[in-house]
Amino acid sequence: MNKIWVIITREYLVRVKKKSFIITTFLMPLLMVAMIMLPVYLANKAEKECTVYVLDENDYFIHRFHNTSKIKFEYPSGELETLKKRCVNGECDAVLHILAGNQSNHANLFFYSDPPLSLKGGISDQMDEIMFDHSLQKEFQIDIEKYKMLKTTSHSDIQTVQIDEEGQGTNRMMELNRVVGMLCGLIIYMFVFMYANIVMRSTIEEKSNRIMEVIVSSVKPFQFMMGKIVGVALAGITQFVLQVAFVLILLVGVGMALPAMVPEMASATGDVASAEVVGTAQSDIFSNISAFYSFPFSTIVICFFLYFLLGYLIYASLFAGIGSTVDNETDSNQFVLPVSLPLILSLMVIVTGISPQSTLVRWLSLIPFTSPIAMLYRLPSRVPAWELGLSLLLLAATFVLCVWLSAKIYRVGLLNYGKKVTWKDLGKWITGKW
Amino acid sequence: MKIIEIQDVVKKFGQQCALDGLSLSVEQGCTFGLLGPNGAGKTTLIRILTCIYQADGGTILFQGHPLTPTDVARIGYLPEERGLYKKMTVSEQAIYLARLRGLSRADAVSNLKKWFRKFEIDSWWNRRVEELSKGMQQKIQFIVTVVHQPDFLIFDEPFSGFDPINADLLKREILELKQRGATIILSTHNMASVEEICDDIALINHGRVLLEGGVNDVRRRFRKNQYTITLEGDTLPAGEFPEELFEILSHHTEGYHTILLLQATPDTGANALLDYFIHRHTVLSFNEVLPSMNDIFISSVQTQNKNH
Repeated sequence: MNKIWVIITREYLVRVKKKSFIITTFLMPLLMVAMIMLPVYLANKAEKECTVYVLDENDYFIHRFHNTSKIKFEYPSGELETLKKRCVNGECDAVLHILAGNQSNHANLFFYSDPPLSLKGGISDQMDEIMFDHSLQKEFQIDIEKYKMLKTTSHSDIQTVQIDEEGQGTNRMMELNRVVGMLCGLIIYMFVFMYANIVMRSTIEEKSNRIMEVIVSSVKPFQFMMGKIVGVALAGITQFVLQVAFVLILLVGVGMALPAMVPEMASATGDVASAEVVGTAQSDIFSNISAFYSFPFSTIVICFFLYFLLGYLIYASLFAGIGSTVDNETDSNQFVLPVSLPLILSLMVIVTGISPQSTLVRWLSLIPFTSPIAMLYRLPSRVPAWELGLSLLLLAATFVLCVWLSAKIYRVGLLNYGKKVTWKDLGKWITGKW
Repeated sequence: MKIIEIQDVVKKFGQQCALDGLSLSVEQGCTFGLLGPNGAGKTTLIRILTCIYQADGGTILFQGHPLTPTDVARIGYLPEERGLYKKMTVSEQAIYLARLRGLSRADAVSNLKKWFRKFEIDSWWNRRVEELSKGMQQKIQFIVTVVHQPDFLIFDEPFSGFDPINADLLKREILELKQRGATIILSTHNMASVEEICDDIALINHGRVLLEGGVNDVRRRFRKNQYTITLEGDTLPAGEFPEELFEILSHHTEGYHTILLLQATPDTGANALLDYFIHRHTVLSFNEVLPSMNDIFISSVQTQNKNH
């Protein structure tokens, strides 16, 4: 027992002290937050205000465009050619030329230096609206002001409520269920793969280093394998916890800095497309804040760690077994691919956005090799307690089986050099007929 | 008293029989040479003794009781395939391996420091293993083999890869361990070191013991009734030699001495030879020529392979 502890300590410290560990621990969250924040920031900040000269052959659109934070409309008098020249001189960013007569819904947008991509959409949205209002008025004699008022007041608000067996409801966001499930599944996939791979690589390294025999003459191969698996797991958990903490700190920091960075977001009222989306998404989240708080976080966190741990243990022990059979990493592919196939399959299923309540996901959440990902995907939606229990039980049993199998392979594979191992050999090693 | 008794041990790898009912025993405090050609089963036997492999049949007694993994903790084993973690520092590595052999951290450090001082390698303490030459790494490997002061040691090809200076250092260390009463199993192809260090040997081939016993006994068993005699004078004595007693295989002179290599006839003893010369010449020295372990190794293995 004491020796296992010595092994765990070494495996843990070696990993945690590595430069790459420290870098990935802090860089990954930074990248993640940047990936979330950058588009928002860019959409709002990078686009400067554009000045557009409007030249309408019908004079209908004159003074009907309204200025936004992104587009400023001006209606100078003059020929198209002079306006174009002024555009070339940099007095405006674009010239909008609306054609005459029954072509009044056609327009040319002249620009000299590239305007932001959203400019065309922003103008066209406004043109549509103006034409629609015009038609309403003309065809149906509708009072536009009244119509607009009606339009803003007739706004539906659907609260999604998930009910339990007694019909008691809790405020839920259906989308939130899906997103949280997908996120948990993804994280488990990444960590299981990453750390199981580390176990395999380090086993191969110990073989090619020829340190293996020195070690297994002092400790049992099983002790060594388990020590390594646990040590690496602890390093993985350390990294995960640090990353989560770091992401939270970053998000809080960014959240505080955000209003200053994107002033429009606070007052986003029917602006240009991007700001609008962000704005509504945000107000949606805040309006559903009660849904957020009623989310079964404790269950998810506990299950996340259970599935994370068991999933890792299963794959790490299998990968340790694989690592022990080969002399170099390239030879390991023939075993790695079939073993990791279930993991990849379950990831593909959740990424396609198939319903968590579907039969496929239900089965995958019970099958041990896929359940760490599939069950987490399903968990935020309703999962009967017995299914969760069964899934965990099967997973734990599979873990014991995998460790047993891998230990058999491991103790033979360790000192097997040179000869390439086949599936048939593995069978012999497991049954002890080698 | 016997420290290890191996009886009818069988180990099969698939169809291949690595050990085929092998039996041998090692006396406490003895330095035991485990000899044999490549693929004879030496390393397999050692791995069974260190509980890395399990035997398919037979028994192994360690100090009279069946060998258990706890006994292995008292063994110092230097494998033939030996390596170190390249990225760790020498001290971290040595402490780690010492702790795996059951030492506490404090004991590990103090024992290691002693050995490092003895080998004059204190300055390497904080170096990374990858910075060390192969010979330096071998020293570290030797130290971690003996750091837990085992009273039973197994060295598998300890001299391979050592330069003559380090090989000599290693030999002296092994002899010192022997003087302190440790039992040592030495598996090697270096026959000169076997004659120098070992008390007993076992020659194994095809998973069986071919030859066993004390080094001197074995050599005596293979004696060919040959002697060297050194006579005064720088010329070969003139005249006929009695064919019924011996024949001269070779002769040469060194300064004022003449050295003869004699093949005595089967019935002739050493005294009869000496008696013949002592009455005719001035005899300066007289020795029996025993075959070297190298000759015995080659001839025995070749004979068996031919019969196989």
